[in-house]
Amino acid sequence: MGGRSLAAYEKVVGPVAISQLTQLARDLAGARIVHVNSTRQGGGVAEILDWLVPLMCDLGLDASWEVIHGNQPFFNVTKSFHNGLQGMAVPLPQSKIDIYESTVAENAERLCPILTEADFVIIHDPQPAFLLNLCPERKGHWIWRGHIDVSHPNRKVWNYLRKIINGYDVSIFSMPDFAQRLNHPQFIIAPSIDPLSEKNREMSQQEIDRVLARFGISKDLPILTQISRFDRFKDPLGVIQAFKMLNSSVDAQLVLAGGTATDDPEGEAILEEVQEAASDDDRIFVLMLPPDSHSTINALQRASTIIIQKSLQEGFGLTVTEAMWKSKPVIGGNVGGIRLQVHNHHTGYLVDTPEGAVLRIRELLRHPDKMALMGENAHEFVKQNFLLTRHLREYLTLMLGLRRGLEHHLVAV
Amino acid sequence: MKTLSKRKEPKEMVIKTEKINMPFKVKDCALITRMGGVESAVNLRELRDRISSCPIESIFHHFCETFIRPTFDDPEFRNDFAVWSARSLRDRVLAERLGVINPYKLESFEALRELVLDILDERLSELVYIPWVPRGEDFRFMRSVTVVFDTGLTLETVDDLITQLPNMSYSSIYYHFIEARRRTPDKVDDFTEWLSDFGSGTEELQHILKTVDFYYLTLPELKKTLIQALQSRKAEVTHGR
Repeated sequence: MGGRSLAAYEKVVGPVAISQLTQLARDLAGARIVHVNSTRQGGGVAEILDWLVPLMCDLGLDASWEVIHGNQPFFNVTKSFHNGLQGMAVPLPQSKIDIYESTVAENAERLCPILTEADFVIIHDPQPAFLLNLCPERKGHWIWRGHIDVSHPNRKVWNYLRKIINGYDVSIFSMPDFAQRLNHPQFIIAPSIDPLSEKNREMSQQEIDRVLARFGISKDLPILTQISRFDRFKDPLGVIQAFKMLNSSVDAQLVLAGGTATDDPEGEAILEEVQEAASDDDRIFVLMLPPDSHSTINALQRASTIIIQKSLQEGFGLTVTEAMWKSKPVIGGNVGGIRLQVHNHHTGYLVDTPEGAVLRIRELLRHPDKMALMGENAHEFVKQNFLLTRHLREYLTLMLGLRRGLEHHLVAV
Repeated sequence: MKTLSKRKEPKEMVIKTEKINMPFKVKDCALITRMGGVESAVNLRELRDRISSCPIESIFHHFCETFIRPTFDDPEFRNDFAVWSARSLRDRVLAERLGVINPYKLESFEALRELVLDILDERLSELVYIPWVPRGEDFRFMRSVTVVFDTGLTLETVDDLITQLPNMSYSSIYYHFIEARRRTPDKVDDFTEWLSDFGSGTEELQHILKTVDFYYLTLPELKKTLIQALQSRKAEVTHGR
């Protein structure tokens, strides 16, 4: 976010929302907060921390962001954790656990002195979770923040990780559906978007047109876009299948744009499959974008007629929120956080199959007035509830609750 | 702390506007939801059983905190049990019976629990089979931690209330006008309680506040209703009607 201050958001969210944050943060002034995840670039978690940490500092908190380092075998293991937590059958032999624990132990030598002294340690996702077991002298509150859909985890993977996560003081999930049986309080914080980031800021039509021209995308035909990592759970092949079924009746273009995160070793293989499936149709644009392509993604979303997010598994689905902020109707997979955001006939449509996507794309393209109304509704919901100020407020509320004791319903500060 | 200075009052106003010893400190609140610590319910019988034993904070959350929870939705019913009955159980009869309950008309939240259980028992006795929900649509019991904080704004006169209401956040209005009914001895909102300290001359304003049918309004609608009600009363008094 480039060190953007809280004051910069006042024009978007209004003075009251900013004032709420400063009032809440007053009681946390100087608190030492350390976030830990596994990558600085790529994926939703890094994007959240990119604005969250500077804004916490702007509010007078002493916040910082640490990243654990690992080699390819380590990230292969954590990717299989990720897949396993989302329900895939993945083997978890002792050799994998050894790679995981030894790599985290190497990181612990560097990180434990920092984490031990912190008032609040927020560990994001499973990759750094084992740090807790390696910092026995911890002083503050340790929070595990799960960003992914763990509603139907592979039992073997979950049983291993649950023992670690149970050691935390509390955990946070993005949706109630993701919560699990754990022996500590579980909180719900939905993610959010940054309205002033490169990915979400207002753009001129010229800027948008330049991006379309760069990729040879026509602005005269409807553009259907799915923005997401090249990941099986995002079902890019299902989107291509739907587009090919549609093509005989509707003249449109399909854009599949995304990248791979540094902690995702499977991305390249999926991308090759997608390119192969798209190779026989010159109206399908497969764009492999570097992690810093935020303004390109912004332009592609704004140029789109409809946004598709046909995931088979999804955490919250921030790309859906981004599309809604840009007043676009969304056709989304009937899973995870997409269900929370997309309401049939109101902000878009939920679909379970490529056929369902075809039906809804046809319907929306025939009714531009309906698309416009859905876009308006979508923008307003995001403005009220899913911008970063709400997200930051909930973190502050949780930290104040932890300090004052979670047994009370009302906590006065 | 920001304190509003006393302003010059029109002579013809009969609403009490002088300072009193107890200024109104405007507070705000922020809520974070947490799991209720109760197993989710996948059918109507399980819902009934879970409601009978869940913490009272969960009942309160699903009936009363829906106002300030972040959402992408504006459902037709104000409480989560009615919404779930309509959308997941697909039982509109039950949804309407639950949806019409105003929890603030009842003696206590335990009385609310009893009323909900009565309605569920009645519905269970009417049905020939127990309705289930599709996988993934379980009713998940939640509760919250609500942090209350000072906004720094203090009201000293009745006029301050009328002029500052538009500047208050939705969550501040929720805290003082809705949540207050759980805290105050007479189960009234904080504004009404404060106005009563002025003695005679504010009864009509108190009456206006007491008659706002707030439970079926969204917070933006409630704020608008309160502003209009108080400002129109002020205008009537100012113009001697």
